[in-house]
Amino acid sequence: MTISTQFRDQIIAAIPGLRAFGLSLTARSDRADDLVQETLMKAWKHHESFEEGTNMKAWLYTILRNEFYTQLRKRKREVEDADGFYSSKVAVHAEQDGHLDMADLRVALAKIPEDQREAIILVGASGFSYEEAAEICAVAVGTIKSRVNRARTRLAVLLEIGADEKFGPDANSESILINAHRN
Amino acid sequence: MVDDEKKNGKASRPDKKNEIMTQTSAKPEVSDLIGQRLRNYYNTVAEQPVPDRFLDLLSQLEAASSSSSKKPR
Repeated sequence: MTISTQFRDQIIAAIPGLRAFGLSLTARSDRADDLVQETLMKAWKHHESFEEGTNMKAWLYTILRNEFYTQLRKRKREVEDADGFYSSKVAVHAEQDGHLDMADLRVALAKIPEDQREAIILVGASGFSYEEAAEICAVAVGTIKSRVNRARTRLAVLLEIGADEKFGPDANSESILINAHRN
Repeated sequence: MVDDEKKNGKASRPDKKNEIMTQTSAKPEVSDLIGQRLRNYYNTVAEQPVPDRFLDLLSQLEAASSSSSKKPR
């Protein structure tokens, strides 16, 4: 059986979004593109497990996401202080991308837990519904909703959005805010 | 610095309190602003053309699968 042109075209159409998703997860374009490459190879290899007529985009994002966690686990085994290592790298890279607004966001994203990060990206930027995001992350819809909410709360504090209003930074978020500012 | 932030963020914020904060944060204008920035960030990459590297890879995969597809599965 040859792989259909349609399948190939759908993959190509999804690549820009997959790269953006990868970058949002890893904060590094080299890692993002490695994830995309793995995703394409896996999608091709397992094309038979894709059911025609179902959501190809969601299928590809699921593969990329799983690959991200596989690599993350690997890296955590390799580097004892994986989090600290990761965050310091992100800070350096963020400075290099020149765009202050985006650099801030990139650093802030790196500071929130992966499960919240992926949830808010899938729903807030990739254009997936809560239901689709839940399927991609293999959790309940309610879980995705609560992760998105938590991510918003944390990002708002880290980015100091709404901090001037009665948005309610308590003692804890206040200190996070100060830390974020110093960084 | 990062560790401090983590400790504050995690240890001293049990789930219940988190939920309360979550509700406060649902302020639409805050969500909008965050959403806007996320989409800007995402779209800087999502709007770029597909790099040749991936088109080449797909061509290679295609070539490999069309030669192997001649064999019965």
